[in-house]
Amino acid sequence: MTDKPKRPSLAFVLGKSGAYAILIVGLIGTLLPFFYIIVSSLKTPAELRQTPPDFFSKTPSLDNYTTILKDKDIPIAQNLFNSIFVSISRVVITLFTSSYAGYIFAKYHFKGKNLAFGIILIQIMIPFQVVMIPNYLLVVKLGLIDSLWALIIPAFIDAYGIFMMKQFIEALPAELMDAARIDGASEFGIYSRIVLPQMGPPLASLGIFTFMATWNDYLWPLIVLTSPENRTIPLLVVWFQTAHVSNQGLVLAASILTLLPIFIVYIFLQRWIVDQATSSAFK
Amino acid sequence: MAFNTLFKKDIVVDSGKLTAKQRRFAYTSLTPILLYMGVFTLFPIVWAVVMSFYSYSPIREGSGFLGLGGANPFVQIDNYIELFTGTSKPAEVFRLALKNTFMFTALVLPLNLLITLPLAVILESIGERFKTLFRAIYFLPTISSSVALVIIWSYMYAPGWGLLSIMFKAVGLVPPKSWLQDPSLVYFGVPLAMICVVVAHVWQDFGYNLVIFVAALQSIPKTLREAARVDGANAWQEFWLVVVPLLRRTVLLTSVLTVISSLQVFVIFQLLTRGGPKNQTQTLLLSIYENAFRFANNLGLSSAMSMVLFIIILTLTVIQFRLLRTEWEY
Repeated sequence: MTDKPKRPSLAFVLGKSGAYAILIVGLIGTLLPFFYIIVSSLKTPAELRQTPPDFFSKTPSLDNYTTILKDKDIPIAQNLFNSIFVSISRVVITLFTSSYAGYIFAKYHFKGKNLAFGIILIQIMIPFQVVMIPNYLLVVKLGLIDSLWALIIPAFIDAYGIFMMKQFIEALPAELMDAARIDGASEFGIYSRIVLPQMGPPLASLGIFTFMATWNDYLWPLIVLTSPENRTIPLLVVWFQTAHVSNQGLVLAASILTLLPIFIVYIFLQRWIVDQATSSAFK
Repeated sequence: MAFNTLFKKDIVVDSGKLTAKQRRFAYTSLTPILLYMGVFTLFPIVWAVVMSFYSYSPIREGSGFLGLGGANPFVQIDNYIELFTGTSKPAEVFRLALKNTFMFTALVLPLNLLITLPLAVILESIGERFKTLFRAIYFLPTISSSVALVIIWSYMYAPGWGLLSIMFKAVGLVPPKSWLQDPSLVYFGVPLAMICVVVAHVWQDFGYNLVIFVAALQSIPKTLREAARVDGANAWQEFWLVVVPLLRRTVLLTSVLTVISSLQVFVIFQLLTRGGPKNQTQTLLLSIYENAFRFANNLGLSSAMSMVLFIIILTLTVIQFRLLRTEWEY
């Protein structure tokens, strides 16, 4: 090693190549399961049943993908639409309610504010499974069972989103708002025309995390959705796994289609997503 | 999450007093939000607590508010007594589930730290460009759909032709005939199926702690390390005497968060092992779900189960808040 400021770490002890060797072993361990099902999804049913199996297909094809996309008994287009519809609705609603409530908590001081904020924070502290049963009964009473609205209406308010937006808006200078007020802007106008345009980065990160969480959500949709045409994509994959045991290739193809949208977003925004996930943990 | 900032006093300097108009705006805007929170958060919490003291089934027409009363009678703490001392099937499964949930958590936490801490230290020490790349890939499983990951692992653990069996054979080991379904395979008191679930879960989840540890390592001021070096510490001493003590709070907090999330793992238990074999991987959340929604049993009993889980998590959350409130300066 050169005489630069040495770093006291395992890497120093193991040497550089040892460090990279460990990192690469970890890398293979992380990627191999993904890679294995991707190559397996290109196999024919016979190749999938073969023991011992070949790692790679001798005749790789996209048949499994075209089958699930074309099969008329599988409402995959409808299920994809459901997932997209629910995810986008929840992103739009969360971004609005979080930034709006965050703005009020950040910039207005009034009696009962701490109590109101405390009530909202209760949501962060209550694990989902505590309210899972009453929420289900509530959704039944509201007539939302087996409807996509059951995934959207109970998710209008995201306490964590409000909290995050409040933090950000508190840092915006009050002079901006006062100037707009003198110019005759309404209070809502200040939110929509002064505050909102400055909130690109935090809104984008809240939006991405809301999208990923909604897209991957499984337990709540499993409880409230029953008809095949109302399923979201994760429910379709699970139904596939139980119903299409004879053709595992279709299950694999469906799983990969579930992963794909998130992976595409991740490829472009990975650095930012990881940084955001880290900074939302502590600090 | 940034809980520690919750406790800071409001330091925003207000630009003068609010006018009546501004106050009215704040109140009218917050009223619907708080009403909504009342209906979808506060009310369900109270409902869950109350229901745990009733014998309740939605099929029965009760008499009182929310059908609680009449055919769904108030049973005091009978549900809780049943859970901890009863001999009915749900009660016995519950106690097993409680044990399994603790076992799962007790295995996940050390395995996770054993992987993430050294890996974070190594990752922090390499060049910026590769660091970003490795970090991005290690984080990949955490953003992926749990359902798809369970499908992946059912392929890894497939008996005979699964990737793990192939790898075992390749290095001359004899793979178990069944990874997930043979209840007689128990190692050091831990069923093989449980070990498999732990491994799959840690694989899915380790990226999260990893990036947090890397960030924590990066935030340790270089001057501290250099000072130790000037005082004659070698790399190993510097690591144990400077880096480790400064990481302690992050590791503690991350551990609490890992425990809280491990107690709530669902998808992998419901889909990979379905609680089996012989309830060896039956967990609390899975038995709450199955009692309430699959067998449509007494929802009062299921609610009592969720209260038990809630009390455990609440205790941990209080610990987490305590930890966050302690002020640390480098």
